[in-house]
Formats: sequence, C-alpha cells, structure tokens
Amino acid sequence: MLKINKKLLISISAAAVLSLGLSACMENASPTNSDAAVKASIDGGVSYPVENGKTSSYDVNTNAHGADVKYGRTPTKAEYDAWNTDIMPDGTGLPEGHGTADEGSDIYDAKCTMCHGDFGSGGGGYPSLAKGNAYDLHKTLTNQRIKPNDDGPVRVFGSYWPHVTTLFWYIKDAMPHPMTGSLTDDEVYSLVAFILNANEMKIDGVEVDDDYVLNRKKLLDVKMPNRNGFEPNIDGPNGPENVRKFYANPKNFGGQTYDVKNPASRCMKNCQEPTAKVVYIKNGGIHDFHPPLSNVKDLPKVKNTAFNAKKAYTANCAMCHGAEGMGAPVLGSKADWAPYIAKGMNDVYKNGIKGINGMPPKGGSSLSDADFKLVVDYIVNQSK
Amino acid sequence: MDIKKSQLDLASTKKNVDNTSIGRRDFFRKTAALSVTALAGTSLLASEEAGDPAILKPTPWGTKWGDPVSKNLYGMPSKYEHNVTRRYTKLLASGNFRASIAVTPLQDLSGIITPNGLFFSRSHGGVAHIDPNEHRLMITGLVEKPLVLTMKQLKRYPSVTRTHFIECPANGGQEWRGPQYNSLQFAKGFMSCAEWTGVYVKDILKDLGVKKEALWMLAEGGDSSKMGRTIPMDKVWDDAMIVWGQNGEALRPEQGYPIRLLVPGWEGNLCVKWLRRLDFASEPWYCKEETSKYTVLKPTGKAIQHFYANEVNSTVTSPSPEIDWTDLEDGDIVEIEGLAWSGMGTITGVDISFDGGKNYVEAKLKGLVLPKCWTRWSYMHTYKKGQELILASRARDDNGDIQPTIDQETLVVGVEAVYHRNAVETWKVEKDGKITHVEIRSQLDRKGKGPLFIKGEA
Repeated sequence: MLKINKKLLISISAAAVLSLGLSACMENASPTNSDAAVKASIDGGVSYPVENGKTSSYDVNTNAHGADVKYGRTPTKAEYDAWNTDIMPDGTGLPEGHGTADEGSDIYDAKCTMCHGDFGSGGGGYPSLAKGNAYDLHKTLTNQRIKPNDDGPVRVFGSYWPHVTTLFWYIKDAMPHPMTGSLTDDEVYSLVAFILNANEMKIDGVEVDDDYVLNRKKLLDVKMPNRNGFEPNIDGPNGPENVRKFYANPKNFGGQTYDVKNPASRCMKNCQEPTAKVVYIKNGGIHDFHPPLSNVKDLPKVKNTAFNAKKAYTANCAMCHGAEGMGAPVLGSKADWAPYIAKGMNDVYKNGIKGINGMPPKGGSSLSDADFKLVVDYIVNQSK
Repeated sequence: MDIKKSQLDLASTKKNVDNTSIGRRDFFRKTAALSVTALAGTSLLASEEAGDPAILKPTPWGTKWGDPVSKNLYGMPSKYEHNVTRRYTKLLASGNFRASIAVTPLQDLSGIITPNGLFFSRSHGGVAHIDPNEHRLMITGLVEKPLVLTMKQLKRYPSVTRTHFIECPANGGQEWRGPQYNSLQFAKGFMSCAEWTGVYVKDILKDLGVKKEALWMLAEGGDSSKMGRTIPMDKVWDDAMIVWGQNGEALRPEQGYPIRLLVPGWEGNLCVKWLRRLDFASEPWYCKEETSKYTVLKPTGKAIQHFYANEVNSTVTSPSPEIDWTDLEDGDIVEIEGLAWSGMGTITGVDISFDGGKNYVEAKLKGLVLPKCWTRWSYMHTYKKGQELILASRARDDNGDIQPTIDQETLVVGVEAVYHRNAVETWKVEKDGKITHVEIRSQLDRKGKGPLFIKGEA
C-alpha cells in the first residue's frame, strides 16, 4: 500500500521548534525516505491511492472507475442563471443596484432586528453584525483571554471578515433567515450600507453615513480592515500550493508528530510540562442539556399532552413579541395590537400562519394550524 | 459492564423487586458463586434466599404473544431505550434552533457505527425535507460540459461504500479556556461515524472536461441557508464523494437527504448537505461559513482559513461522566474503552495515562481499523477502591501525528481558536468512582501582544 506521507517533507528544524522542550520524546525522524519526491496531500495528511485493486482495506472494482459512464443533460441558460447566485470577491456575480443605510434601516427594523437586535447588536443566540468601529475593533484580534479579566477578540463583520462580497451574497441568498431569497438587489445594497454604517466604515476615505448611496462600484471599493488577516494565502494560481505548504508543517496549527517508523520513540514518561495542573469545571459549567442526561432503562413517562397556549407562546413567540424593539407587536400592549385586531381575527390568523415581514410562518414553530390559532387567541386576549 | 448496570437499574425500578436482605452486590456475588458451585454439584442451591425475581417470576414477555410482524414495518428501538437520544443545549443554538446542533450520545454507542437516528445533527437554516423527485444536481463553471442530473441518474454512476467519521470542527470548542461540560456527549459528541454509499465526484467529472484553470470547487446546498463551501481540486480528484446511502439506507433528512457531499476526514461543515450545485473556478469563493466561521484565530491576530482535516484525536468513552465506576468493587477487572480518530490518516495506536498525561502505557486497538474512521481501543484495568485517577488517552496515526498536550496546542493557536481542538482529554476518577471532566494545563502568560508562554518560563 502506497502512502503519501507529508511528514517526510518537513525539515528537522521545524520538528525541533515543535517539541516545546520535549524534544527528547517527540519526533526524532529525519527526512531520508525516497517517498519525499511524492507530492504531499493538500490537508497535511495521508492519501490512499488505489494500488493492486485496493485502497487501504477496501477492494475496488477498477473497471467501474475507468468506465465511460455518462448520464444527465446540459442545463439550459435559464437553469444555470437561476442557481448561479454566488458572488466572488472580484465582483463576479455581483448585480448592479443601489441603496442607502437610511433605506436599509427601515428594512432592518422590519425584517432583521427581531434576531440581530438594534443596530446589529445581536442577542438570543443570533450573531452580532456590529460592535462599534470596525477599524478599532480590528485591533482586538490579537486579544487572548488567558487571565480572568482579559477582553477577547471581537469577531464581527467589520472587524473580521476579509471580503464585503461575502456579506452581499449571504444576505441575498440566506437572509432573512425565516424567508430566504425574498430581498431585491436594491434592498440588499441598502442592508449592506446599513451594516457598513453600523460598523462605522469608510469607502475611499468617505464615511458610509445614512445618506451614502452604495452601488456596485462603491461596494467593490470597500477595503475590509482584516483583508490580510488570514493564512494560508488561498488567492491566485499558487493558492492550493500555499495551502499544501502550510499544512505540511504542523507547527503552523499546533500539531505534534512522532516517528512513524520508530513509534517506540514517542514520549511515554514525563510528557507533561511540570507546571501543568488539574483544572476543574468552574461555576458548575454548562449543564443546560435537553433532554437532561440519563442512562436509566425504563419506560418513558406519559407526557401531559393537553395543549398549553401560554407555554407554546413562551417557547415560540416571546422572543420577538415579549419585548419592545423587536419590530413585533408586544404581548399585553393594547396600542400595539389594536390596529391588527381591527382588521379582524381571520387576518391575524392568516398572517401568523403564513408569516409576515420578519415573522416566519407560525413564528418558526411546528404547531398545527389549530394549535397556532389558540396561541394567537392567547396573545390577543392578553393584549385587549 | 453496561449490560450489568442496566440490569441493575431495571431491577431497582421494578415494583415487584424482592426486597429481601440480599444487597445487589451480594446477589451478584452469590449468583457467580452458584454458577461455579453448580458445576461442582454442591448443595449451595439449597440457600434460604429466594433469589432474583427476574429469574424466579414469569414475565409478561415470556408468557404472552409479542407483536405481529405486520406492526412496526420500520423498526424502532426498544421503548426502554428512550433516554438514548441526541441532545442539545441552548448555549449552542440560535433562538429557534434552526442554526444549531444536537449532539451524539457517545456514551451509549457500541462499535464504530453511529445509528442514523443518533448521528449528530447540525444545520444552518433548519433540517430541510427535500422531495427527491424535485431535486437536481447541477455541475457548472470551468467545465467543457456542464451537467444536470436527477437523483435517479446520479445513482446510475458506479457506487462506492466507505466508512468515515464526520466531525464538526467545533467539537470541544467550548473548552479552550477550561473544562465546561461534565459530559462525554457534550465534550466530544459533535461527531459520528457511518458507512456511506455514493459516487466519487471524480467519476462524474471525468467526462465533463474540467479545465486546467479550475483550482476550486464550490459545493452548495439547496436548503434555505444555501450553505456553501470551497473545496480544493486535490480533494475532488482524491476521495470526495456525493453520498445518498448511510448505514445501508437513504440519508436521513438531518444528514442532507437526498444527497450530501462527503470529504473524508475533513470538517463536517465541508460535507455540504442537501447538495444541489457544484461550481468550478480559478479563485476561491470566500463563503460566509469559511470566513466569519470555521476559521482559527491565533494569538498573532492571523486566523487559519481553509483548515480542512480534523486532526488526530481520541477520548475515553467508558468510564465517562455518564458511565461511572461507582458500582465497582476493589479488585474488579474492568475494561477502559474509547474511540480514536484522525482526518489525516489511519489510527496506528493509542496510549493511556492514569496520571493526566504525564506517563503513558499502550492500549490495544480492537475491531476494524480504517482510514479517517472511528477506531475502538481498549485497556484492561484492575480497579482499586478509593483510588483517584486522571485518565487520559493519546492517539497517533500513520501520518506521524500524535495528540498534543493542552499546553502544546494552546501555545501555538491560543485559546480563542474555537475550532480544531484535539489536545489530550482527561477524566478524573474520584474516590467514590464518579467521573469528572478536568483539564491538565499550565497558566499561560504574555508580554503585551507577544507570543504566549507558560507562566514562570518566560
């Protein structure tokens, strides 16, 4: 079995740096093998080419993989266009259009704030879109919380993402989360402008203020502060080779090695730093497990199946309808609900079941129509 | 051991349990004695103790009809197994559990195959339920002949069956700064292993005339999140597959029914579910999930992107916080069992430590040992009542990789990496046989924004 081993390609000097004072135990290999001419796997690992009808332990029907098997047909242009929605950093796929942060703000309040919070502050398990000035926050990326009061790095769009095109593509294809693919190109330009604004970003030295008109050309002029914050360099014709070189050296990602040909040389005694101590779970740790851990073998408890509208509200609706500022009418607020109730309960049911603006169908719940109506009744009765 | 324990649990919950003076422990001792002495034909059988009602009393299942074969045409686990489930925590979830994860109960698994209903479930826009008749795979970009396939056509290509684990690179990602979960399921359960059936992507591409400039492949899902990732052509020409079969049946919706990408050994996120499009280009795409997430931020401020393979890793599965040793007696011989895996190759060995990774002895691998696949390992241990131990396992692979200590790993990638944590994991065996999740690590220090070092070793 031929195996391509990247370790044979790395120099002994790299191995020496790796060993963190344990060099007596770890990695005594020297690169002497003739396999070194074979190109290493791009991920730093072993690959298992088919040799004598086998790959590792698996038998292979080599006739099957050499056969001239052809199925399917050529897509039409309309089919290709319908799915070819990706947008690349050089602007390939980015449509024409325009919008301002001000326009974006209105769309955001209606369709985004219920999850991403005011000005992209995040919350409820959903990501923050901004935490302040992107250029300042970019400097936090070297932060490490190694002591109790250390601040961590801030990884939001403005401070961390390398390309603005990713944001446009993602919003266009995958937002708003409950109703994806529902925004026009201009609406997406407006939302991108709004998010650039919330991150206090500039384009060609000009602040993206409320009235700044973002269009295709301007968007491609956005220079993200963390553009060069990633390794390996994947761009250009040498991208894959850069990746291969990077992963050929475990030092780059905190890996450790041993001598495959002499495994007995691996560390077996005194393999820990003398400073290493037992660290325990603090403050009870995370134990919010659903369902709670149990390895008891018994019969499941019979659940109370009576429908509880209040419980269903708490589980499915309170996130948006439970507090102000989420863009949704608040439970208990007569003023919020009066205009909806005035249109008749049938409309309230219908909009709730089908979803409206930022509200997903049935609030994202899997309730039956009948049960969902009971929850609507509960909310409305609390808000009259 | 599990079976014994579960029988004990069962007995204790039965209402008609014979509450005589026989303690559980004594009972099993005596049973053992009986079986030995029975061979010798002694009169110990005349014991005054009545014995175990599980043996003495007729059971409903032993005396009445069972179900007809016409019931449960798709079989389900025993109702007594209802606690064996995936589990979730709100801390790892978007508010409505659509961009979330439910993790695998490793403590309840045997062998190297995860049952389909327990395979960990991660989605970015909820679990899509795709009608296979209305689903297509489109292949476009830098190819001479773009292609559309129905699912029926796709399955006409020669199939390949391989057993591989899939691991979310955030497995253990909450514990970079210290242990958080007193649970095997949550500390290590962001992964599962299955036998997959599908087609090599390269077997489809062969006829399509992939252009020389094509360096990258975009794989994109047809679910509401349109989850996409960029894959280098090296992997496409090596072992990347489009799979429709999982442990002998169709993929479950949670795994991308009708089809998903499988890139053996690589981040679970790259194994795009509900796959509908492959596109080829000369430059990478910078998808959302490969820039905002799935990147490893180092103390230098630089983040590793396109981190593909899940590195060599292992864990002790028994004992674990879920399967403790409180029922063991002094001198009992007990099997320590675990899993080892590497996305960079095949497991070649596992060492076990009883002092938190200071000193090691070699454990034994058992069962099938396959590339980029879970591998079971085992060590026979004599339990000493009241003895505290700090159990750690350390796996290695045929690529020359061996698991780092926490110090070795964090000194390079820091504590803010989130992803790709593969340092040695430790369970503490307490005096009473309970198991606690701990970490063995040094206090790190730093001058300004300089490199990390171990406190006191500047």
